[in-house]
Amino acid sequence: MSAAPQSGAWSSPSGSSGWGARLSAAAVALLLVYLVIVPLVLLGISSIRPTGFPLEPGFTLSNFSKVFLAGDFGRLLQTTVLFALGSTALAMALGVALAWLVERTDLPGRNVFRVLVILPMATPPVLLAIGWAMLLSPRTGLFNLLLKDGLGLSAAPFNVYSVPGMIFVEALALVPTAFLFLAPAFRNMDPSLEEAAIASGASTWRLIRKVLLPLLWPALAACAVFLLIVCFVVFDIPGTLGMPARIYVLSTRIFYLTADSPTGVPLYGQVSALGSFFLLILAVLGVAYFRFTRESQRYRTISGKGFRPRQASLGVWRWPAFGAVSVYFLLAVVAPLGILIWASLMPYQTRPNLASLSLATLDNHMDFLRNARLITATLNSLTIAIVSATLVAALSLIVSWLVVRQRPAGATLIDNLAFAPIAIPGVMLGVAVIYVYLSLDQVFPVYGTIWILVIAYVTHYISFGSRLANGVMVQIHPELEEAARASGAGGFRVLARITAPLVWPAVAAIWIWVVAHAMRELSTALMLASRNNTVLPTLLWDYWTGGEPTRAATVGVWLVLALALFLALWHALSTRSASRTS
Amino acid sequence: MLQVDQLRKRYDRTDAKAFAVQEVSFNVKPGEFFTLLGPSGCGKTTTLRSIAGLEMPDEGEIRIGEDTVFSSVRGIAVPVNRRNIAMVFQSYAIWPHMTVGQNVAFPLEAMGVPTAEAARRIERALEMVGLAAFRDRPAPMLSGGQQQRVALARAFVKEARVLLLDEPLSNLDAKLREQMRVELRDLQRRVGTTAIYVTHDQEEAMSLSDRVAVMNEGRIVELAPPRALYLRPRTRFAAQFVGQADLLDCTRVGSEGNAWIVDTPLGRLRTADCSDAEAGASKTSLLIRPEHIELRASPENGLNEVAGVIERLVFSGRIVEYIIRAGDRLVRVQGTSREIFEAGRQVVMSLPPEHCVVVTD
Repeated sequence: MSAAPQSGAWSSPSGSSGWGARLSAAAVALLLVYLVIVPLVLLGISSIRPTGFPLEPGFTLSNFSKVFLAGDFGRLLQTTVLFALGSTALAMALGVALAWLVERTDLPGRNVFRVLVILPMATPPVLLAIGWAMLLSPRTGLFNLLLKDGLGLSAAPFNVYSVPGMIFVEALALVPTAFLFLAPAFRNMDPSLEEAAIASGASTWRLIRKVLLPLLWPALAACAVFLLIVCFVVFDIPGTLGMPARIYVLSTRIFYLTADSPTGVPLYGQVSALGSFFLLILAVLGVAYFRFTRESQRYRTISGKGFRPRQASLGVWRWPAFGAVSVYFLLAVVAPLGILIWASLMPYQTRPNLASLSLATLDNHMDFLRNARLITATLNSLTIAIVSATLVAALSLIVSWLVVRQRPAGATLIDNLAFAPIAIPGVMLGVAVIYVYLSLDQVFPVYGTIWILVIAYVTHYISFGSRLANGVMVQIHPELEEAARASGAGGFRVLARITAPLVWPAVAAIWIWVVAHAMRELSTALMLASRNNTVLPTLLWDYWTGGEPTRAATVGVWLVLALALFLALWHALSTRSASRTS
Repeated sequence: MLQVDQLRKRYDRTDAKAFAVQEVSFNVKPGEFFTLLGPSGCGKTTTLRSIAGLEMPDEGEIRIGEDTVFSSVRGIAVPVNRRNIAMVFQSYAIWPHMTVGQNVAFPLEAMGVPTAEAARRIERALEMVGLAAFRDRPAPMLSGGQQQRVALARAFVKEARVLLLDEPLSNLDAKLREQMRVELRDLQRRVGTTAIYVTHDQEEAMSLSDRVAVMNEGRIVELAPPRALYLRPRTRFAAQFVGQADLLDCTRVGSEGNAWIVDTPLGRLRTADCSDAEAGASKTSLLIRPEHIELRASPENGLNEVAGVIERLVFSGRIVEYIIRAGDRLVRVQGTSREIFEAGRQVVMSLPPEHCVVVTD
């Protein structure tokens, strides 16, 4: 009921934006181009330089030929694809089952499971991998030892340092993501669609094939493509479980060429060539992802009207299903964390039993609180996390204010620039940032300091922060601010009393989320690591790869504790902000 | 109290012809309840927001009391927060992070009213809307009707000279809307504030307003008190927008005093008094509202009587709607349930001359 030019979206009050908005839009766009585009361009240039340094002269294609014509490139590609597809398939199967059981059946304790499902997300993947290495390593793995003794086998039945081992652990780590993706689709499906099919005389199998699958297909496809992207990018688990056995995927190969290259010098040119190939795959997957999510918007079967989803009765299968879901949590949380806690209490790696219980000591934990290297790493981690989180929250707020509220020319560009980093793998972002600051070392001497990590993290997490801020900004009706102005309040009072308090829960949620993720981020930190910017995840990695598993476990236990705390805070805040802005 | 003069606003700066509002002028007297009525996109909200200062018109002048708050010629544009206005929004715009009391206190706080006086005024405003007991309730824990009242209290507490209301009742359900309509009118009378009201609901406009400006395509088409607007509209658009209307093409064939004799598809009819405006118009139509037509079993005096057959009828309790065939034309008639004519029956429609109104295009 208003003037014709107003569109459905809540646009700026006057339809066109003022100079302030246009200037800040230009500034934000430049900043984002600098953070996101410049590193990628340098990465591209680096791949055709003989030395691998973007600013040094020369042109060559030898980096590409070395990477792609090498004898094991086929194997590298094969492993990567196998790992990505395998993990995605397994995580999807488990995620679909979990989402269906929790959302659409009378599974006992389903409401508890719905909350518990964020627990595995509080565990950094690298810790999950270390935990499983302690459980399933062929020589010392607890489960292997138990099975060998129990069944009288001569050799260990499982080897976690293998592609199937990597797939198994990666899938365990990704099930919560799949669940969070799929649960709404299961929950929001109008039961009358199913009832109509049953009333038309369809059998259960027909119902699944003709009605449920077609309706869920876009959500399933979008989820699968998203997981596939994650699996192509992920470093932690292939790094922990694959590299010791010389099993490489793209991301670990990039790390290997940089950190452990046979010549001892980082092979930046080859890294860039490999990275460019990586980006190409991701671009294809990204396009597919956008197409499927558009599709699922179109398919939104559901209106605003309330309904109770149809609940399937599991009958005699209720408790077996409960057992199966419990086993997942046992495997994804209890077993790996349990063995880590056990290891952190041991002077050296031992098999958990009553005899070794007498060895239990708090030495590792005391050491954690005293060791200067650990204290430095903790302080570095906290500083980096807090500074990055603050910058991301502030930048996200500005981006969403421009993109949602002001909509100056170029708003869409800003939106896309802020979202793009989601598709840049951590190891690649690390390499790309190295190029920028090696080139700019005279101007910004941040290479080798904690600040280069801050820059990389801000770039990486702005994609999440701006998404969340956009969502909240859209929900805040502009009339709330207009009402304050009409009440006689000036610009500053409106900001302080109305706008800021309304967006505050979102800002806090972004802040905590980024703190929690920056604390656990491993791959970028490893790429950018030097003596002066050690953080907890890199230290943990050093201890683990350096053969000090009990110390690694100790760091891990403290990290999980801190992360669980932050995630619980985040959960509380985001549910509060959701209930308030509605 | 409020003067709007030759207001113009383009909605697309690159298109010189795309006007959201053009040549809108009106004066509102102190204490008057003035309504801008029109379909969506007619420019009524843009006009209201220009008065509030939430939008910047391209041309024209706006005065509130003696203060010129906007003048394109003199380069004046007083910001919203320094205009002597209060506003009620379509979404209520109740701040969800504050209590009812804090919402109502906000305008006083912004104006720097001393605490003791502010407390008195908040108390009075909340009492006025019947929410005194809800002062410490968090705002999101209110029903739609209660939120609407908080919005009203927040607007009244400012004691501004002009109260602007942007479709404040459109988000309420039908029953509550009618009740709030009465309350709103009551409150405005008691406080004596000048109200500018925007709505697309003609019943709301009629029952609330002292005067109504009907807007279409950015212009004020007609401006009159509700009764005149309904009973004696001047234009086809206003006639159709404010109520049900059957419009018949008509040609003037003579006159009796100020009344005309016209030829219509229903035959020769006598009309209500006409003015020069109709006389000068190139095309005129005859408006007869369905409830003004009286049905009779047989003719009485032959004046403005048309014979017809009841084609069908819809009985809805209080009223009965007839579709009557007269020659090759269908006419809508609204009767009461006091006397009901069955379908297929021959009847005579009596069209009272004072309700046969000539309108221009």
